[in-house]
Amino acid sequence: MASRKDDLNKTLAALTSSAFLLPAYQSAMADAPPEFTEIGMRYSKYKEDDLSAKKVFGGRSQRMDIDVAQFHLLAPVSDDWSVALDVGWEDMSGASPWFVGESIEAGDPKVVMSGASIEDTRTEVSVTTRYYFDSGTAGVNFTYSDEDDYESKSISLDGSLNSEDGLTTYSASLSASDDDITPTQGSYPTNTLSATKDIRSAWIGVSRIISKRALVRFGLSYTYRDGYLTDPYKYKDSRPDERKEWTASAGYRHFFAEQNAALHVDYRYFDDDWDIASQTLDVAWIQNVGQDITVAPFIRYYTQDKAKFFSVVINDDNDSDYFSDDYRLSSFGAFSYGLRVNYEIGNWSINADAERYQTDESWGLYSGEEAPALVDTWRYGVGLSYAFK
Amino acid sequence: MTGILLVIVICGCETVQPWERGILSKDEMQWQPNVMESRLRNQVYASKEASSGGTGAAGGGCGCN
Repeated sequence: MASRKDDLNKTLAALTSSAFLLPAYQSAMADAPPEFTEIGMRYSKYKEDDLSAKKVFGGRSQRMDIDVAQFHLLAPVSDDWSVALDVGWEDMSGASPWFVGESIEAGDPKVVMSGASIEDTRTEVSVTTRYYFDSGTAGVNFTYSDEDDYESKSISLDGSLNSEDGLTTYSASLSASDDDITPTQGSYPTNTLSATKDIRSAWIGVSRIISKRALVRFGLSYTYRDGYLTDPYKYKDSRPDERKEWTASAGYRHFFAEQNAALHVDYRYFDDDWDIASQTLDVAWIQNVGQDITVAPFIRYYTQDKAKFFSVVINDDNDSDYFSDDYRLSSFGAFSYGLRVNYEIGNWSINADAERYQTDESWGLYSGEEAPALVDTWRYGVGLSYAFK
Repeated sequence: MTGILLVIVICGCETVQPWERGILSKDEMQWQPNVMESRLRNQVYASKEASSGGTGAAGGGCGCN
């Protein structure tokens, strides 16, 4: 009898332990330290479609092409501490829109690309340490990013607290970043030789277990950007030196036992004082195939309103303080869709993914003229990870 | 969307004991199943769109073209 009771207690302890692996608001913030050291590496390719000849003045129509390598390490330090290291390398080349003008014949807006090919590399190192206590976690992260023309140092603090019944987790984080901009001098003059900007951000969130198979979360964030927010390379680009941003977000996870699959739904509303508003809906279906394989198709819809100082075509007579013809500040809609596949072999995990991202002004919920430099992209990658079990 | 989820939370909550949460701890139920892919994906979106953030405090920037 005593033996059966011990067995039952062990089973309960095991189940309770797995329950405490629930994330606070992301997978890197589990409520229990990792049991094993995990390492992973990943290679990704990002490529922008060429701009069609009818949208470009003479020059190059080729756009950015980026190779990305990533390394991830997550290790327990003791029973209640963990450390994570993320390193990323990017090698980028190609051309970027310089400005948009009007053709004399038809008056159509056309893009003038940066003449010389942009070549740059970026290295990012991010270290996170986390302490796990009975009812929550506390973490500190430091991230350093360096490229030829940009350096960023940021620090963030986060914490989470579970309710007594463990059904609700309250989370918060604060971050500060100091960035230095030193544009590379090429054949065209840049808008500045050297500048700085600071980013301060706060986030609060709550996640809740609403059934044995469903989780929900909500979040609110505020970000304040201060300093040189103009694009140094775009002709006559001039933006306010301050930006205040707000987001409200929600997420839902549901496991369907019959299909042996999980549904992910995430939504974000964004607003700022440049009059940009946006909405994002992300949906994924994570299908288990047997014991070792997951196949996950996903789709994302994004729509944004234009910035109050955006104009499709550059106007030399423009006497307002601010101006930008950067397509990223225009009204547009974007659909992206793709597939992720993961295969577990013993302690190894192999994963691959591909995503197509397409934009069009007519797909957006907000009205505005189409920026000719809107971009379509491909992204695909393969990764390998190992758990030292 | 947020309203629908709030209704689900208010109307649909049930008490789930710790030993009944095994499904919720599965990899496919995590908010971000693959840390590296999520990190890159969010960076790409942030560099091509005018908005970012929503899942935590914003980090540093990049000179992404």
